[in-house]
Amino acid sequence: MTRRGARSDGNGDAGPAPVLSARSVAKSFGATQAIREVDLDLRSGEVHALLGGNGAGKSTLVKILLGALQPTKGRLEIEGRPVVFRSVRHAISQGIFPIYQHLSQFPDLTVRENLAAFALGMSRGLLAAKAMPSDETMRGWLAGVGLSVSLDAPCRGLSVGEMQLLEIARAVAQEAKVLVLDEPTAALTHAESNVLLDTLGKLRARGTAILFISHKLDEVVAVADRLTVIRDGICAITGAPMKDISTRDIVLAMVGKDVAPITDIAPHGEDIVVAVRDLRLTEGAVPVEFEVARGEIVGLAGIVGSGADRIAEAIAGAVAPVSGGVWIDGVPIGSGRRKDAVASGVGFVPTDRHADGVFSILGVLHNTSAASHGRITRRGLLRKQREHRQAHDILERVGLFPFRLDFEAADFSGGNQQKLVIARNLLIDGLRLLVMSEPTRGVDVAARRAIHEAVLEASQAGVAVVVASSDIDELLSICHRVLIVQDQAVTGVFARGARRQEIINALAAA
Amino acid sequence: MKTLSGFLRRVPVSVLIALAFFVVCALFVPRFAGSGNLGNVARIAAILAIVSCGQAIVLILGGIEFSFGSSVALASVVTVMLLPATGPLPAFLAGVAVVVLVGVLNGALVAGVGLPAVVVTLGTLMIAHGFAASLAGGLPIDAAPSPLFRWPAVGEVLGIPVAVLIAAVALFCLWVLLAHMELGRRFYLVGANASAARLSGIGVRGTVFTGYVLAGLFAGVASVILTSRVGSGQPNLIPDLPFQTIAACAIGGIPLTGGRGSVIQVIAGVAIIAMLNNAVVLLNYPVAVQQLLIALVIVVSVVAQRFAAGIAFDVRILLKGSAR
Repeated sequence: MTRRGARSDGNGDAGPAPVLSARSVAKSFGATQAIREVDLDLRSGEVHALLGGNGAGKSTLVKILLGALQPTKGRLEIEGRPVVFRSVRHAISQGIFPIYQHLSQFPDLTVRENLAAFALGMSRGLLAAKAMPSDETMRGWLAGVGLSVSLDAPCRGLSVGEMQLLEIARAVAQEAKVLVLDEPTAALTHAESNVLLDTLGKLRARGTAILFISHKLDEVVAVADRLTVIRDGICAITGAPMKDISTRDIVLAMVGKDVAPITDIAPHGEDIVVAVRDLRLTEGAVPVEFEVARGEIVGLAGIVGSGADRIAEAIAGAVAPVSGGVWIDGVPIGSGRRKDAVASGVGFVPTDRHADGVFSILGVLHNTSAASHGRITRRGLLRKQREHRQAHDILERVGLFPFRLDFEAADFSGGNQQKLVIARNLLIDGLRLLVMSEPTRGVDVAARRAIHEAVLEASQAGVAVVVASSDIDELLSICHRVLIVQDQAVTGVFARGARRQEIINALAAA
Repeated sequence: MKTLSGFLRRVPVSVLIALAFFVVCALFVPRFAGSGNLGNVARIAAILAIVSCGQAIVLILGGIEFSFGSSVALASVVTVMLLPATGPLPAFLAGVAVVVLVGVLNGALVAGVGLPAVVVTLGTLMIAHGFAASLAGGLPIDAAPSPLFRWPAVGEVLGIPVAVLIAAVALFCLWVLLAHMELGRRFYLVGANASAARLSGIGVRGTVFTGYVLAGLFAGVASVILTSRVGSGQPNLIPDLPFQTIAACAIGGIPLTGGRGSVIQVIAGVAIIAMLNNAVVLLNYPVAVQQLLIALVIVVSVVAQRFAAGIAFDVRILLKGSAR
């Protein structure tokens, strides 16, 4: 299973030395090793994919490559020469550019100002204004990454995909030798992802080395030339050419065991629990109407911008629609007030886990009980033993890992933070409807499986589930029924068993 | 390593700093450790401790409270003006009500209208000062001395100053509120991530509003002791009170970014400031040096805490790795 790929030792292989390489790099925090021994070569003109489960040591390695952490053993080399990065800024000055998952632009400034800010930031001295590039130069940078926006457009108005391209443009403008993209497509639509992947192809042709970190195997297969997989702090696959490797090999290397997607789900109940009636998010939109039976899992398939996530928010009572609403057992739930919706037994797992889901700086218990204070409060006082017991049970069910109730949410990987959000919703008193938007975005295969199992378990307990997702495989795997959402309206319905291609065609249809 | 991490997480660095400071003062400052002097320290600390309880609530909510600086002054003016007509008890209650009312106004503007806390509480700071100055006609108004009026400042119960007892009760109430009440839990959730709190079904506006009103209540209680101590209604009673309380919370390790803070941190911060003030007086340093030292201690302790947080973080990463 462990496949050693073409491992160049700087002098062994033909061809030029790698632009950036890590040689037997190890990193320990105190007595424990986050990375035990990792080798990685980035050659110019290649897209090198880096994969690993949450907690495998992937992000530690990336931080070392970017100069944010110092290795405890081993060394980095640039074009065969040993180098020590003192800081991220130092690494950038050597041509190693991070493209962050959480974008780092100045949202209130224009595209021009953002492009210039970076040029200024990297120059020194008071006369930095002289370094100000011309508009023409800047337009060239934008064109180079396939971004067509006005220089005067405020960044706030750009889509996530456009911001990411802008970030890449900034790096390219600084003559980046290496781009490090951590989960670049996590928040992108299919169309935007394709633009990004095209752009990476162009940069590769120009000789840039690209380190591409992603959980999405299909993208890795589509774009990467070589692949490194880390598990438990060592390389399970080291720089193997993609053509020699199957998707199954990759998954096996990542998790050490086979994690197959769920294929069988139990049938749902007969009686209708949830009725969505005349729901419109904007004036003049076609109203959304559908019903959800007891234990039924209904998918809202939509590419980003389709409004599937917004419909989910409205159903959950997180935003007020302009008309219509949701009835549970024939009783309307208050619109636009989550407090009322929670009281009616409506759970909600929001799209943006970081901004709207977890309380990063608070502990596991605070996170887990946030939507069910009523269960653990008597005369205004919290019953902490009961809280602990209740959280312990539900977190065991969703498979929190590591199982540490004394940690803060920020101490967990993304997948496990999502488990905290889901556990919180499963604890809602009298849960009747669970609404989720992109429940497994940016989550590794094992956590994804655990989250899907938790959803199925809830549905078998009679909870109606609505899942908005741009991940078609997810919807095919766990939904009884998939609704196609375009332009904030339902334009098609597929029963379980539909083929992937049918749904893609329906999403793409005008 | 597990116990070290647990220790670092449970005992705030500021407590260690406070203990170290106590030992240093006891060793090197003459007369510091005498029981008479420590009683003095406690008396000085009492008012700061009570108001800092309110400041801590607002900071945990992710806000900040400046209006204390003149709301307690307005309370003293109102109390002293009512005193001849009503007697001490109703006058004191009216003073408390005034400060609570300023809290209601703050809460309504921050939670209801959604304005930034800095702007709102600076505004109410000036409004309350304007009222106090116009009511008093610009000058302090002397209160007719009476035993009951002086009791909060000079009275003792079982040999313990009333002010210190009230501070102890205030700190205990804050502890119950933050560590054991559902309302306190909501303060943390809203301060840590208001959007996630809202989506979890928490009434964010109501929680924020309640926080500002409670902060006013703590400051109102402190205003009773203050008014009694100065024996007059003063429009410029204690203008730097908000800064002292913010300093106490910051030294204690409560970040201004919300979602964090505990009673033990309030106690540590207040203790450090009170000991420092007292030590400087005992050493006969001038007031200017006193302020300089306090400023220095704020900076050093905040830096020390940032450093310690880094260590704790490393230890946690290590645990995360070893948990597999």
